[in-house]
Amino acid sequence: MPEVKRKYVTPGELVGKGKYNRTSNVYQIEDKFYSTRVGMAEVINDSLRVIPLTGPYIPREDDLVVGKIIDHSAFAWEVDINSCFSGFLLAQSVFGRDYSPARDSLTKKFAIGDLVTAKILAFDRTRDPLLSVSGPGLGRINQGEIVSISPTKVPRVIGKKGAMIKTIENYSKCRLTVGQNGLVIISGNPEGIILAKSALDLINHEAHTADLTQKVQDLLSRLNNGEK
Amino acid sequence: MASKKSLVVEYLKYEQMLKEISKGKRIDGRKLLETRPLSIEPGVIEKANGSAKVTLGNTEVIAGIKIQTGVPFDDTPNKGLLIVTSEILPIAASWAEPGPPNAEVIELARVVDRGVRESKIIELTDFCIVEGKKVLAIFVDISVLNVDGNLFDAASYAAVAALLTAKMPKYKITKEGEIEDTGKQIPLVTKLIPVSTTMALINDTIVVDPTLDEETVMEARFTITTTTKNSICAGQKGFPGGFSLKQIELAVDTALKNGESIRKKIKKSVELAQKK
Amino acid sequence: MSKLLNSKNRRLDGRKLDELRPIKMEVGVIDNANGSAYIEFGRNKVMAAVYGPKDVHPKHMMKTESAILKCRYHMTPFSTGTRKNPAPSRRETEISKIISEALEPAIVMTDYPRTAIHVYVEILQSDGGSRCAGVTAASLALADAGINMRDLTSGCAAGKIDGKVALDLDEVEDMEGDADLPMAILPNLEKVTLLQLDGDFSHKEFIEALKLAKKGCLKVYEMQRNALNDKYFGNGKA
Repeated sequence: MPEVKRKYVTPGELVGKGKYNRTSNVYQIEDKFYSTRVGMAEVINDSLRVIPLTGPYIPREDDLVVGKIIDHSAFAWEVDINSCFSGFLLAQSVFGRDYSPARDSLTKKFAIGDLVTAKILAFDRTRDPLLSVSGPGLGRINQGEIVSISPTKVPRVIGKKGAMIKTIENYSKCRLTVGQNGLVIISGNPEGIILAKSALDLINHEAHTADLTQKVQDLLSRLNNGEK
Repeated sequence: MASKKSLVVEYLKYEQMLKEISKGKRIDGRKLLETRPLSIEPGVIEKANGSAKVTLGNTEVIAGIKIQTGVPFDDTPNKGLLIVTSEILPIAASWAEPGPPNAEVIELARVVDRGVRESKIIELTDFCIVEGKKVLAIFVDISVLNVDGNLFDAASYAAVAALLTAKMPKYKITKEGEIEDTGKQIPLVTKLIPVSTTMALINDTIVVDPTLDEETVMEARFTITTTTKNSICAGQKGFPGGFSLKQIELAVDTALKNGESIRKKIKKSVELAQKK
Repeated sequence: MSKLLNSKNRRLDGRKLDELRPIKMEVGVIDNANGSAYIEFGRNKVMAAVYGPKDVHPKHMMKTESAILKCRYHMTPFSTGTRKNPAPSRRETEISKIISEALEPAIVMTDYPRTAIHVYVEILQSDGGSRCAGVTAASLALADAGINMRDLTSGCAAGKIDGKVALDLDEVEDMEGDADLPMAILPNLEKVTLLQLDGDFSHKEFIEALKLAKKGCLKVYEMQRNALNDKYFGNGKA
């Protein structure tokens, strides 16, 4: 059984020392590692990391995100993806190579205020994130409710191999689309949406606690049985 | 028009700086705690009540003093007013522009002001004419003519030298209770000579009197004003970096020593000017 | 010559020379902000909020390799004895710069290229040492926002009253006292990132005040950790 060391840390606190192959949310001075965030420090085998409990969404290539169209030029839509930067969706990627601004109007496809599911096509330190809506399940969102959670809680909402999200979907009989940027779309019947929202709210507030899975299960079955 | 981007120090120069520092020197040949050549020339603006031009290396500033009558503050009815301002003139550097002062210039003005004010070089109650009604307002305005680092010290020396050689009108109250200018000019009563020492932290090493290049690469800066060989009256850490406690203690030591040596220089140039 | 100490070296509010005023801290008080905190140091009431990292306006101010930090220290008109004009004063401009320079060494600026991190410190009520309370609150707000930092920034002032070195001067002690030394440190890295002083210190007194202020900063740091603990770790254990 690998030794696991876990403790809550704040920025500047010592997490561990030695050689590690995988580190995240820490910085190093000589052989010592210190946390850069408020979170749960976890040291297992050759991995030393801090799981943050708060923080902005920093886009990564291939991330699925939910965004809101907030502006457009003749050549691209500007999309608010709840990050430090706006994402951009090129008209060319939607209308095709022979796209012409004279002929193809951007608002016909996506208007300001529309919600879309998109993938991060490209992002690096030198430019704004580029988005793509080509692919199954991507594109304009036509129905459902949008819930915002801290991007740091997204892994717990999804769960191991999607276990948590399946649990919520089963109880609520709704479909959930979870953006890595902390925006979640719930579509289905109104009662189910309320159920799903309660579960998401619980996870957002208690993601770091033990027995989260059990707590969510208990909450969902209570609500399902008509109890409050 | 050149922007502040041209202030970027070439990497090769920076490497050279670090190399010299590890050997206890700087690229202009100075030792770590050595100041640049300093010249202080009081009395350059005859129409002002007091003035002084200071050159510290290539940094050049002029301080001018104007003394006028004024109304005291409500909470200090028997004290005169001391107002110290600083300005970087557009002639001083390619990137200096006319306009309202930015945060850096405001900091410069306030740090120099505190260094002079807190030293109690002058006793403000000496400048009261009629308590609650009329006092003397002493304006010390510093104009930077050429920027090459360490504006804090140059400005401070200029302000102090100007105060030490300034003259103010002598007032008397007539039999009818009126305030009358007797037409006589008397020197200001000054109590001591405050001296400011600015240090930069480069590669964890303290250097005194940084040039503009050194200020551009430094991690942090500390300005300390001393009044005697054993007392401090003002201090300010600047720039986004940090000092260890030991470095602070070394800085204070250095400022006290440097203060004594500069104090002698200021005294000498004031005495020379007063002989004329 | 005013008396700020009685014959037993107790201050006007009953404190000993090396005692802090009562301090309260709460993290996450402004819903819209990415991070926020509220602090009381004695009768100082300070609110700090962080917005960012976000994109830079005007664009030419942007740095390609790092974030820029924009800090604003501002006093509300009702915060002081005499009403304060809401327009930014030169003092506030200087303190904004000082606080920014105290926080920046703690932030890993190069992790957020081409962005701006906005820190707003609002003094709702002022009673001596507001810049130390401000930098302390700002550091909590940055941690609450989840911005990568090497350390927290903890602030506390020392000074000299009636000839004796004392910790955490209130407004009366600041105005009537002999000297004032506001300080902030990065507690784990042991670096001083905010240090000002005015008044009259002998060499010995300065060193004594410096060490006392550092002790105060370390006590403040413990409280910052507890405040973060309360918000983030309160509901469960590892």
